[in-house]
Amino acid sequence: MSAPVSETATAALHEPDAPVEQPRGGRTPWWANQRIGLLILVVALGALFGILRPAFFNQQLVVFPLLRDIAMFTVVGLAQMCVLSIGHMNLAVGRMAAFSMMITGISYDLWHFSLYAGLLVGLIAGTAIGALAGWVIARTGVNSFVVTLALDFLLLGLIPLVYTGLTDNAAFVTKPEGMREMRNYSLADICIGNVCGSPAVPQLALFAVIAMVVVGWIYSRTKLGRELLMTGTSVKAAELSGIPTARRVITAHAMSGCLAALAGFMLAVSTGSIKATIGEEFMLPSFLGPILGGTLLAGGFISVWGTMLGTALTSVIRKGLDLLGVGLESLNIYLGLILLVALSTDRVRTVLSDRQGVRER
Amino acid sequence: MKATLRFARTTEMTLLVIGVVFFVFLVIASHGDLLEANSLRVLLQFLAVPVLIGLAQMVVLAVGQLNLAVGAVGGFAACAMGVLMADHGVPVPLALLIGFLLASVAGLLNGLLVVLTRINGFIVTLATMTVLLGVQYRLVGTRTVDAYPQGLKSFGSYAVFGVLPLIFLVALVVAGLLAVMLRRTVPGRQLLASGGNPIAARLSGISNDRSVIIAHTLSGAILGVAAILTVASSPGVNKSIGGDWLLPSFAAPIIGGALLTGGSAVVLGTVLAAFIVRFVDTARAEFSLEPSWVNFVVGTVVLGSVVLGQVRTRRQERRTVVKAPDAAVAGGVS
Repeated sequence: MSAPVSETATAALHEPDAPVEQPRGGRTPWWANQRIGLLILVVALGALFGILRPAFFNQQLVVFPLLRDIAMFTVVGLAQMCVLSIGHMNLAVGRMAAFSMMITGISYDLWHFSLYAGLLVGLIAGTAIGALAGWVIARTGVNSFVVTLALDFLLLGLIPLVYTGLTDNAAFVTKPEGMREMRNYSLADICIGNVCGSPAVPQLALFAVIAMVVVGWIYSRTKLGRELLMTGTSVKAAELSGIPTARRVITAHAMSGCLAALAGFMLAVSTGSIKATIGEEFMLPSFLGPILGGTLLAGGFISVWGTMLGTALTSVIRKGLDLLGVGLESLNIYLGLILLVALSTDRVRTVLSDRQGVRER
Repeated sequence: MKATLRFARTTEMTLLVIGVVFFVFLVIASHGDLLEANSLRVLLQFLAVPVLIGLAQMVVLAVGQLNLAVGAVGGFAACAMGVLMADHGVPVPLALLIGFLLASVAGLLNGLLVVLTRINGFIVTLATMTVLLGVQYRLVGTRTVDAYPQGLKSFGSYAVFGVLPLIFLVALVVAGLLAVMLRRTVPGRQLLASGGNPIAARLSGISNDRSVIIAHTLSGAILGVAAILTVASSPGVNKSIGGDWLLPSFAAPIIGGALLTGGSAVVLGTVLAAFIVRFVDTARAEFSLEPSWVNFVVGTVVLGSVVLGQVRTRRQERRTVVKAPDAAVAGGVS
């Protein structure tokens, strides 16, 4: 197969001779299943780091913040996964989080909302800004990359202006009741009868679980999810089958905005402040999780579990290297290399399993 | 072909008109201060690097790829040069040459990785960006390297007739060379052919893989020049060099009319767009507004220009094709 030059054109070239979707399920040999490989890798690395540095299993100082990070970045990954499912991208994922947290901050500061009411307002704002991006894309047919990039620019300008206009120190200082507690509460604080949860699992992780269940349910059980994936596989075919593709584009981006808002909220709670820089570091992890987990960039295939495992892998590596004393500066080098190696081996695996499949046929 | 030519011409014409009107407006708003040699020099001085990073992105867009590592490659090369000169006492020309080569090799690596692994260029450059950011941080840490020879700094601030900064002329020369290369030479034409229609290019005996590698290498080389100019014109290099290059690198070609799907060479458009973005920044300084306004305005302009461009092409298509399939809605980026 020739160059990966223009994706649309090559996709058109591929379509006739590869009508079967990527052989991820059923016939695929187990060693070619990306998620099992990821799970083994996460567990093995966790064990390795634990042996090298027993402090890795310290519940309060390591496991608790690690799980909190994994939970937050899983939601970030899910936000990106929703748009990847239709073959789009959302480069403004971090800035959408910042935007919705700005609205949440305003609701706490000026309107004195309660914690969850503010969260709701933020989610609505995120959904709205995502839907706006989707609407522009669907309406004009401009590439999602450009639209979200421009939106990112726009919000990057707008958000600091609002913050400097409304606050003194570029952060909303009003903290609603319960925000500080939520930061430190773990499952140990939830008891049913005498049985309490583990102190290592933060309560914030529940948000990620809810998000995973809802997104997983949408994609695996509902007509909407099927239609989104169909749109991702082939817009033309989806359109001809009577799927309102333009509306599905808007839906996917709105979902992405909503999840980005949730991730922003989780970050705001765990850092304890609502400021303009929320979500700045979301871009890279938002792609890392889904792509390591097997979600296709071209659209049409997603994996909620994979997104979680991919995020877990990067977070475990980050934390482990940190404990081993690898400096902050080198972390990025390793993360980038791991991403490249992981994707290359995945590529090799897919090619091998394809070849085997052909032979069996 | 004729229609696209005319279209390209109008995009650049529009940009030129907007630029001139904007400039006249700025001159009037500043009561003519902007026409003084010093203000003009400053205006052009800070234009050299944006022009180059826009061109670095334009080259890869022309072949239907994209390069997220523009800032990382440039920052890494700039820091490498600074460290070589300041810490290891490498003579200036040699250090600059090494930095330039490092950037080119980084671009070459991007291209090779895309071609060999068949991974999406977006992901490959995302990964190399991460790696290079780490290397850059490792090179300079939290310090600012500024102990390099004074000669280089005076090269960076020298201006012909006190108006035309040398580094701006260098950027223009690079733009001119790139334009000639894309228009007149065989590799340039092949590059555009691969970007415009890879299947047709392959059937005509063009190696798309080679085009991709050439485009990424060129992008790296242009970033190498940008890094040299950055080292020469800024008081020192640190880890934040290149950190804010990514968005402008896309803004200039996209405003300039480049197609994300590849096949378009808009050197002039990219340069003009860089001018306009610079004018926005000048206007911001003139009216002493917050720096955030620049991003806000540029974001709006980018969005507006792509929407307008799309509307225009759609209208053209509707005239020729009865019903165009909505393939554009999918809009996956390679």
